Order: sequence, then structure tokens, then C-alpha cells
Amino acid sequence: MSAAEVLDAHPNVTVLTVDFFDTMVTRTVAQPTHVFAVVEEELISQQGARWKGVAVERVHAEHRARVAAAETDALRDIAIEEIAQQLTATLKLTPAERDLFVHSEKATEIALAKAVPAGASIIAEAQSRGLRVLIVSDNYMSSSHLVNMAHAAGYSWVTADDVLVSCEHGGFKHNGVLWKVALGVAGVPASQILHIGDDHEADHVQPSKLGIATHIDTRMRRSHRDMHNTSPDVLPLSRIEATQRDAMYDSNWDVAHALGDGLVGMVVAAQIADVKNVLRQRDLAGIHFAARDGWLAHQVWNKLRDSDSSLPEASYTAFSRSVIWRASLTELTPANVGRFIGDDEVLTIARLERRVGCSLSSLYRPDESIDAQSSRAVLLENDREVVAAAQQLRRRVLGYFEKQGLLKPGHHIVVDLGWTGSTIADMADLITAATNGAATIEARLTGMYWDATPNRMRVSMHGYAMTEFESLDNNLRLLGVIKLLEALVTAPHGSVIDFADAAQDFQPIFVETQPELAAYAQLIGRVGQSAITSARALLQGTHPSGVKASDITGTALWAAIMQVGHTPRPEEVEALRIVRHVTSIDHEGEGTPLVTAAPASPKSFRQEQLPGLYDGLIHGHWMQGSLRSWSYADDTRWIADEIGNIWPSTKVQWVPAPLA
Amino acid sequence: MVTIVMRTYERPVLLARAIASVQNQSFSDWELIIVNNGGDPSGVEAVVSVARTTTGTSKITVLHLPERVGMEEASNQGLRATSSEYFAIHDDDDSWRPTFLETAVRTFTEHHDAAAVLSGVTRVHETFKGGKVWPVMHENFPLDDSRLTYERLIGGNTFPPIAALFRRSVLDAVGYFDSSLPVLGDWEFNLRAVREGGLVFFPERLANYHTRTPESDRAAGNSITVGEDLHLRVKKELQARWDSEMEPNGKTKGAFSRQVEVEVDAAETRLQAEIAEAQRAQSQRSTVRRIAGAVRDPKRAIRAAVHQVRVLVKRR
Repeated sequence: MSAAEVLDAHPNVTVLTVDFFDTMVTRTVAQPTHVFAVVEEELISQQGARWKGVAVERVHAEHRARVAAAETDALRDIAIEEIAQQLTATLKLTPAERDLFVHSEKATEIALAKAVPAGASIIAEAQSRGLRVLIVSDNYMSSSHLVNMAHAAGYSWVTADDVLVSCEHGGFKHNGVLWKVALGVAGVPASQILHIGDDHEADHVQPSKLGIATHIDTRMRRSHRDMHNTSPDVLPLSRIEATQRDAMYDSNWDVAHALGDGLVGMVVAAQIADVKNVLRQRDLAGIHFAARDGWLAHQVWNKLRDSDSSLPEASYTAFSRSVIWRASLTELTPANVGRFIGDDEVLTIARLERRVGCSLSSLYRPDESIDAQSSRAVLLENDREVVAAAQQLRRRVLGYFEKQGLLKPGHHIVVDLGWTGSTIADMADLITAATNGAATIEARLTGMYWDATPNRMRVSMHGYAMTEFESLDNNLRLLGVIKLLEALVTAPHGSVIDFADAAQDFQPIFVETQPELAAYAQLIGRVGQSAITSARALLQGTHPSGVKASDITGTALWAAIMQVGHTPRPEEVEALRIVRHVTSIDHEGEGTPLVTAAPASPKSFRQEQLPGLYDGLIHGHWMQGSLRSWSYADDTRWIADEIGNIWPSTKVQWVPAPLA
Repeated sequence: MVTIVMRTYERPVLLARAIASVQNQSFSDWELIIVNNGGDPSGVEAVVSVARTTTGTSKITVLHLPERVGMEEASNQGLRATSSEYFAIHDDDDSWRPTFLETAVRTFTEHHDAAAVLSGVTRVHETFKGGKVWPVMHENFPLDDSRLTYERLIGGNTFPPIAALFRRSVLDAVGYFDSSLPVLGDWEFNLRAVREGGLVFFPERLANYHTRTPESDRAAGNSITVGEDLHLRVKKELQARWDSEMEPNGKTKGAFSRQVEVEVDAAETRLQAEIAEAQRAQSQRSTVRRIAGAVRDPKRAIRAAVHQVRVLVKRR
């Protein structure tokens, strides 16, 4: 709807009232509380670590100030000075430090201010028609400060007389008080006023009660996430998402592009930046991007090599947990046979034979369903054949590794998403044994958690965004988002289940599953394409957000993973519902959904079932995506809430308040 | 340069993690001296050979002691092998966040006279069983400026070695660790060091002090959690030794230590009582909130109450 159309729909209007934030003026970060992150970044650069954590404390201080104010007058809004007072008490600020913080916040708001296109054009159209324009805002900043922000955003005509702000008039828009003030100041009947804003209650319900016409536009809110989490680390993704918000202003929100351009682009850029960093530090015999988690990075690496001849060639190497484990098998025992068959799986002899790569003797018909215990018994009865097949697979795997350059003497790095690093550790054992130690492997992982500790004895590992040295809560949060990240960075092909023989050059044999193909066609493929473009731009310093590779530190990448993985937007959860994770050793079957459904009968669900539910969530699904989806529905919200109460690391706040 | 002395004995999994915590440091001018205190050399060498693939051989040195000596003698042997400007004692079960050394060295540049700088500490309670280790709980280790004065330290040690980076010149001024002490050598050393320039604290929690839970394999236990009796006995012996040393306040060092110990114990008891009281008050506030919540959303409150009753019934 154009500005003229908005106004044409209200021909009798003589006064246009305008909401300020996200209708008239926005910021160059994705959401309001990220302004405090910029403040913290600035204060730390000026005065050091004393100010670390002040952004998130600022959020809490505002909450406490509102609670304190409501105890005496529930109708009135607070002022910035009351927030500063709370902050001073918590952080033990000196008067000079308190003044510095308030000054920094105001200066930052002005520095980040920019006009909202639709708001600006409606205002310009209204002024050209001779309408009076009044700004009506729920905010703790004074009218003089809003005037300064308006000027910074290009609204040079604004004076203090044009601004009505809740902290100066004893009431909010959203409780109706400020609207009565606005009516008086406008000096015309409500029927001659049109209000434009972005909040349903404050900008539509309340003015409508008085007879004021409204026009609601929520597009600037599309980049918002949970407001609790703010620190300088959130800023790279915040700036990218603010750019997305502006670029998609006149179109529907493209979730695939937003995920690819943002989080996934950052993951891929970090994978490559990490490789470049290692290249600067030591000689490498080979760089190997793991199939499938390194597919996007390998694509970008090759594109970068087109313009940078200093980058060495890197392989895209297929290996999987099941293939490497089978290739390492030297004996089949009751203790290890379970890795071929999940406890709750029902299989057939035909499918078992595909898993172990050899014919099996048994009394069962090839297509007869057999439970896990019986399946394991069949394998143990055929242990010689199974081990022989494993040894043949080992030869094919090593033939493939040789072709990929992994057996070349020297030090190799393998780039993967990671987590425990057990597969790369198994792979390193194979390579060390085959080369008598001449080739060594180092795992460069996006993240790793505490289960990685024993593997450190077998392979050198580095986690870019997370290691087990981080907090218990963050280790748990990583576990909760692993499935999401694996789904987002994946390749257009399936997982490797075997390798061809020497006559066919040891080509990897991938298994394609219908759920993965469907998700790739509908969503993941487009995520990947946007990620490739974004990562390349980030690494070359040409990303439209201005974010550069040097901004994507480990903590910034962790913050990006948390922003999307731990506090997803509803449309992200909705879009990712189609993704299923196929986890069986042969990658057959329908897999498990990334976003799992709540218990079928929430009313009869018992509290003692919560531990099992939580365990399944954190190990088998995208935990936060699932919890978020449950919290949207009235009948299942209590389950998400209870899980949050029992396991606080699942609550939305992941930026701690270290100074409190 | 920073020298990091890492004492180890038969804990290869933890050693691998500890080495990685050093290798992950954003500050790169370090050397690591691993003192294998009489343990199986092959286990240590296997871990170190993996670690050396990423940092080369020159940054990591291993001293294999032929037989087990005291912890402090192991530290001294490691320190005598180097001559860097700063040193840290990094036990093989502890870890640093990646910016520990960077922050500590930067803090030294702002405090030229300090004997040591110390970061805030997170205590990690972890279980170690069958070669696997996993954290059970994290908590803030109580440490601040007030706990780093001589007058406070004399009552008992207030920080684990992993928190501190020392200036090497302190060794020249006050001597090395007392190798006759089976435990608490760090406390005795800290008391000498604090009088040689003071201890500077930065609150960012960049050191992880790992302790094993009781259900862990015994070999993985901490010296403190496994040997509480030994700590008490050695403390008494040290205080008795100090009875012949006079303090500027006219008391013997031993008497002063015992006096502060009593005061600290009393203060800690009061603090624990205050925490318990605060938790009680919090619980009452929580009850009020629950009642308010029940008024706002009675259906949910009834559901929660039914669940609680079911849990209680099941427990019985």
C-alpha cells in the first residue's frame, strides 16, 4: 500500500499521529536491545572490561525500574534516569560512570538512527497535503532526545512540540492514557486523526477505542528475536539481520535466505577463516572438507581460489560415522554388535546384509521382520563374514583416502561441524596405522562438547565456537542445536555408506533418502545457496551489512548459533518443520523430525515423564525449535514452561548477567 | 613469554584436555613444561605426540621424573627448566578459557609491581568414570580482592593455582615452592609472594577449577577432595612451624594464622546462614508469585498442583 493510498483511505483526516520506533525511525541493528550491545562494545573499547556484561544488565535494570514504578503508579512510564538508577545500584557505578552510560546510550541511539521507508513516505505525503504530524511514542527517553534522533534520521522538521512521549505525560499509549493527551494536543475530533504504528495494542486497539483510525505496519519487527539476549557478540548477526530486514522490506520474509545469508553464511565463513588461520601458523600436507558438513565451505573455498592463487587445493572427502567404524572393526562381540542395530529397530535380513556388506546365513526369510536382539544374534553367528567384509571395506576406505591425499606424509586438517570428534578420531587412527604415523590429522570443528574430551587423546581438535571448557549450560545448549546445524549446512547428496572398488576409483557411494531430498528441494538447497554467497562476501569484506571475516570470532559465531538455534523466530520453526534427520546406520527409513511434536495428550501428560521427554529432545531433535513450537499452543505451553523450570539452560536467556 | 608448568600423574584423558586448554589460548607466546611425576611415560608421550602435531615440538617439553616426588618439587623442577617473564601452575585436571593468558598478561602491564594476577574462577564439579568425563554442575568460586591480602590468606588458601599468573622475579625474591610439603605448598608460596608486590584480581571468570564428584574413579580425584585429612594435618604442621616467626603485629605467624582461620570460619558460617536465609526468602517470594500466577491462570495452577500430587504419591 503506497503512502498516497494510505492517506486516500482516510480523506477526512487533518492530523497524522506517528509511532516513533520501528514506524518512523529504526536502528542499524536487528532489535532494540542490541543498541545496548553497541554501547557495551564502545564502553569496553574506551574503558576496558569493567563494562563487560552491561548490555544485558541494562535490560534487567529497565525491568526492575518498571516493577518499582508500577508499585506506586501502575499507569506511568519510567524515564531513562530511573533505569540508570537501577543500573547504578547493581553495578555499583560511580555518578560519573552512570552519566557516562546514559550519555553513551543516547549518543548510540542517535548514531544508529535511520528512517523507516514507509513511515517516512507517509509523513512526507501527509505534510504535502497540509496535515499536521504528531509523534506519539511509548518510551523512557525525553522528547528532546527523540527530536535529536529524528533529526539524525533525516526528519529535520521535528521539534519538541511535535513529540508526545509516555515518560513525560504520566501514561502509555498501550494503557490509553497517552491517547487522551494526544487528542487534547491535536485539538481536533478523533475522527480527523489517522495513526500509523507497529503495535497491535498500543497503536491500534487503544486509539480505536477513542475513534482514531489506524494503519499498522509490522515489517520492521521482522528482524526481532528475544529481547533478553544482548552483548557485543550478537552484533555481527544482528547487523546482517538488520540488512536483511531492510532488503526484504517490500517483499515477503524469505526464511531460507535469512538463514543462509545470516547464521549459515557465518558458519561457513568461520570454517574457512579458521583454515586460513591454521595455514598461517603451520605447514599442511592437506586440507579436507568433510562430506557433508563441509560441502558449503568447500564450494566457497573453490570460488575463493579462483581469485586467490595463494590458497591451496582442498579436497571434499566423504566419510561417515558408520563407514569409518565398520572399516575399523577387527572383531565382532556382544559388546560392539549393538552399534549396527539400534535398540528399538525392527529389521530384515536383507537390510542387515546391506548394513554389514555381506551375505548372512540365518533361518529367517530375507524380508521377515526381526527385532534388534534377534538381529544382533544373527550378526554374531556370522561374525567371520562380517569382519571379513569390514576388512574389505577398510581397504576401499584407505584406497579412497589415498586418492584424496589423506595418506600423504605430513599434517592434515579436516574441517567438520564436529561435536565429539569421534568419527575423525577413528579416521585418524586408520590413517595413522596405514601410514605408520607419517600422516597426522587435526580436526577443525565448529563446535565440540564435553564428550570430546577422551577423543583428544587420539586426535588434535579445535572447536571454533564452543569447546568443553565453556559452561555446562552452553554445552547443553550446543547439544540442543546440533541437529539444526547439521541440517542447515548439509550437501545436496546423501550420506556415504560405502566405497566402490579400485576398478571404479574408490568412488563414494551415497545413499539418498526421500525426507532429505524433499527438505533440500524445498528449503535447505536455498539456504545453502544464500550461505555460499554470504560467506564469500563476508570473507571478501563485501557483505552489504559491513560485517567482515574478522568480526566472526568464536564468541560471535556462538552468539549467532544461539540467536537462531536457541531463540528462533516462529517462521523459522515453521519452515524447518519439514526437515527430518535420518540417523540409522544405513540411512534408510523416515528418520526423526527436527521439530518434534509435543506429547499427544498434554492434559494427561505426567510430570515424571518430563526427564525422558527432555532427554529425547536434547539428543534427537532441535530442542529449542521444538520447545518454541510447543509454547505457541495453549495446551502444550505448560510442558515447555516446566522443562524451562527444571532445566534452566533451556530458557530463552542464554547471555548471562555476569556482573549481577 | 609465559611458562606453564603442568604436573601430571596417570590421568591421560585429563592431561589431553589440559594441554588443549593451553593450546586454545589467544595469547601465543607460551611454553608448556609437562612434568610427568613418576607416571607411565608412554601414556604421557602418546598424548603429547598428538598435541605436538598442532603446535610443533618446541613449545611443549616433557620432563619424565623417574619416581614420584611431591607436587611442589615437581613444580620446581619444571620452573628450573625455564626462564620466562611469567609462569603459571596449570594442574592437569584444570582448564582455562581461551583469553586467560591474554587478559592476565595485559593486566600485568597495568600493574607493574604485582607479584601475580588472578582471574575469577568457575568451579566445575565433574564426574570421571571409565575414561569419560562430564560436568555435573558449575558454580562461582568465591574470589575477590578482599580474599587476596596477606591478612586474609594467612588464615587459609583462597584460590586454586589455575587462577594465577605469577611474575617470575617473585621466585628470585622469595624462593621456589617448599618441596617438603606434600600438599598446601601453593598456600605457603602464595603467602611469601603476596608480600612481594601484592596480588591483582580481575573478575572475569577465565579459570576453571575442576573437582571430581565422589562417584568418580578414585584415581581421578583432586588432592583436596581425596585427601582432606592430609590437608588439615599439614596446615597444623605449618602453623606450628610458624610459631617461631614474629609478625609486625606482635603475634607469631602461627598464632595469627590460627586467629584468622577462626575468624574466616566464623564469617563463612555467617555467610552460609545468610545464603540459607536468602534462599528461604526467595522461596517465600516464589510462593507469592505462584499464588499470583494461580489467580491469573487458574487452569495451569490446577494442572501443576495435580502433577505435584502425582509426584508425591509416586514417591510414597
